[in-house]
Amino acid sequence: MDRAVDINNLTKSYEEVPVLKGLDLEIPEGTIFGLIGPNGAGKSTLIGVLTGLLNFEQGEINIHGLELNERNELKIKRSIASVLQPPLLFEQFSSLEFIEYVCEVYEVEKEGLIEKAYSLLEYFDIKDFAKIKVNKLSSGSRKKLAFVTAVLVNPKLLLLDEPFESVDVISIERMKVVIRRLKAKGTTIIITSHILEVVENLCDDIAILHKGHIKAYLDSVSRKELQKDASLHEIFEKYVEVDRKDDMVDWL
Amino acid sequence: MFYKLLTLNWRIFISNLNRFQLLLTIGYILFLGIMLVNLAGTAIVVVMLDSDPWMQLQLPWLTPEIYAFILLVFANTYWVMHFSFTNMRLMNIEENRKLLGFGFPLNRLAKYLTLIGFFHPVNIIYNLTWLVFLLIQVQEFYQVPVAIMTVSLNYVLIYSIKHRFIRVVEKRFIAVVIGLLILVFVLFQAISFFTSNSAQIFAEMIPQVETVNEFLMWLPGGVLVQTVTVSYGLQMAVIAFFFLTLLTGLIVIDHFNKTKEGLLNPGLRKAEEESSKLWVVLKTILGKNAGKYYFYVMKHPYNRLQVLTLAIIPVVYVPLLLNVDFEIAQTILIPTILAGIPVALLAMGMANMYGYENREFLLHLQFPLNLEKQLKERFLGVILVPLLVFYLITVFELLVIPEIGSPLQIFIANTFFFLMFMLLFVWSSYFQYQKATYSSFSYKHPIIPQKVTFVMSFLIFSMGYLVFVPLNGLEWYRLTIMSTVIVVMGVYLWRHMDVLVNLFKNRVLMRLWTEL
Repeated sequence: MDRAVDINNLTKSYEEVPVLKGLDLEIPEGTIFGLIGPNGAGKSTLIGVLTGLLNFEQGEINIHGLELNERNELKIKRSIASVLQPPLLFEQFSSLEFIEYVCEVYEVEKEGLIEKAYSLLEYFDIKDFAKIKVNKLSSGSRKKLAFVTAVLVNPKLLLLDEPFESVDVISIERMKVVIRRLKAKGTTIIITSHILEVVENLCDDIAILHKGHIKAYLDSVSRKELQKDASLHEIFEKYVEVDRKDDMVDWL
Repeated sequence: MFYKLLTLNWRIFISNLNRFQLLLTIGYILFLGIMLVNLAGTAIVVVMLDSDPWMQLQLPWLTPEIYAFILLVFANTYWVMHFSFTNMRLMNIEENRKLLGFGFPLNRLAKYLTLIGFFHPVNIIYNLTWLVFLLIQVQEFYQVPVAIMTVSLNYVLIYSIKHRFIRVVEKRFIAVVIGLLILVFVLFQAISFFTSNSAQIFAEMIPQVETVNEFLMWLPGGVLVQTVTVSYGLQMAVIAFFFLTLLTGLIVIDHFNKTKEGLLNPGLRKAEEESSKLWVVLKTILGKNAGKYYFYVMKHPYNRLQVLTLAIIPVVYVPLLLNVDFEIAQTILIPTILAGIPVALLAMGMANMYGYENREFLLHLQFPLNLEKQLKERFLGVILVPLLVFYLITVFELLVIPEIGSPLQIFIANTFFFLMFMLLFVWSSYFQYQKATYSSFSYKHPIIPQKVTFVMSFLIFSMGYLVFVPLNGLEWYRLTIMSTVIVVMGVYLWRHMDVLVNLFKNRVLMRLWTEL
């Protein structure tokens, strides 16, 4: 299977504080990939680097066979869409104006675009907000709008940083449906999340990121093996060496 | 608890200031002191006008009627000033409402914030001046409490009306702009007519001044004056005091309820459908990037007011100054005011280029478009609109007021003026982007602070004298110097535009990411 993302020895620091420390990762094309880890593990930084928002000091990243560098940057960016946490939207535009702007930038075919946009907005119960200014939307609606827009640009690689945060249960289920359909079309989806049940249920492969390193890579085969005796939650706790410290609140 | 709330608000205020802003704030406090002395001083002079023997000697025409007229004009003008400058920014509802989450009782918080809101230093100065102005005119002891209560009622009324007026402005911006333009234009034309025909008007007006006074007495300022100049007796004073207190109390309660509502319902933002024709127009003219940027500049409520001010200035002052028989007014003030308009537009767009879109830049960075190209398009857009206005103004000057100079003079002077300020903004942006932190312009809120606006106005007028003052025989020397400097500045700006783009890319975007 071809690799959608191939990362070798990736190092990234913020003002000399290392966040990603020689990270290696391979993500097969057409899979739903879950990236989990405690706060500060480097998940959002990794997404930031992949979207081209952050530069990195060392290492090599290949996306769909193209090395992420200045020469290939625009070509790679054209094939990627993302939903960040918090989502990036154009606050002074209406939801529909925002979608149109982004789709124009990504040169999405105009024919049928509005109909598709409306159908997705309706699917996620935000059709009534199509002509409402983005800065007036609730945090859940903002997340859904960012997701709808990312889907509409037909990405080959979709990066979702905590996409289910502040989204209602019904919409989470609908997001899962859309994600599975995108996968069926050949899109690779990378999801970071703290909701392990959703990750467990939705993702093909899962990686546990901790202190800038991939602590475990669980593909469908190894997951089956490991999850015979333990839940994903327990596996996660084992790899990130959780010290529960419950005795510290014994006074309660 | 009130003390803690004050400390908290003070800390929020102080923590947002850097050293430069702290200096500006100290300057502002000094300015407020000078303002109080000036206002109260003017009030005292106006009141004492007729009792000073020297004044009576100097102004033989100052009959009691004319004196009353001056007093009433002052009171009503002062009331308009009070209304215009009453400041309502201290409540800081968005920050303070977080206290509700920590268990701060709603009623108490609303009560304290209502009080804090009323005690803005500028508002206190205006009210103190009213008290000085009225209390030195008191004729009977019972007028004192009535005057004090009237001042209080006046203030809470202004506060309340202004609160609602701002909402009206937000909703019906264009109608308000046109209404205000017409109002100010007519008012200033009347003043202009009055000043150029004052002798004749005075001769005709003196016999009618009592009638005018009758009218002025019932305007807001006049009513306040009446509380201390009319003898209405103790019984009436008690009744008036009671009703004034009742009304003041009711309005304060209404404001308290509004504050409470504001604290509880931050989400009461209107969610009406909005069509953005402006966006479509700007996108067509300036393109996707620069169009979006300028759309944001123009959507900002502060800039809408700036544009309103920029529209009022030429409409009001140019005809007014054209009527004044004072050569300097035409040769210096008119071209300076007009040359200041594109500069102000440039300041709006360039003073804080990343404040308008802020985090949204990260999305632009994600786009499959060259970021440098996107940023350069923004810079060009920022220059293009003021440049268009600049050319329109130059053509207007050449066609409508050719007496201010020859076409070459006007063109060179305006170009010099424009480029000089552009260079200033480029430098300012350069230092600002290098720090990518709070500077004189907050990077999160793209508003140019009042203090900076004052400095800018000072610079514009100083530059106006330098550029437009008639030099007669030496004019060619100045034109030569200005032309040379224009070429140097043009080359400098052309060569240094990239520096801004690079700083923006390397410093600002990094900071935006870390704050994500």
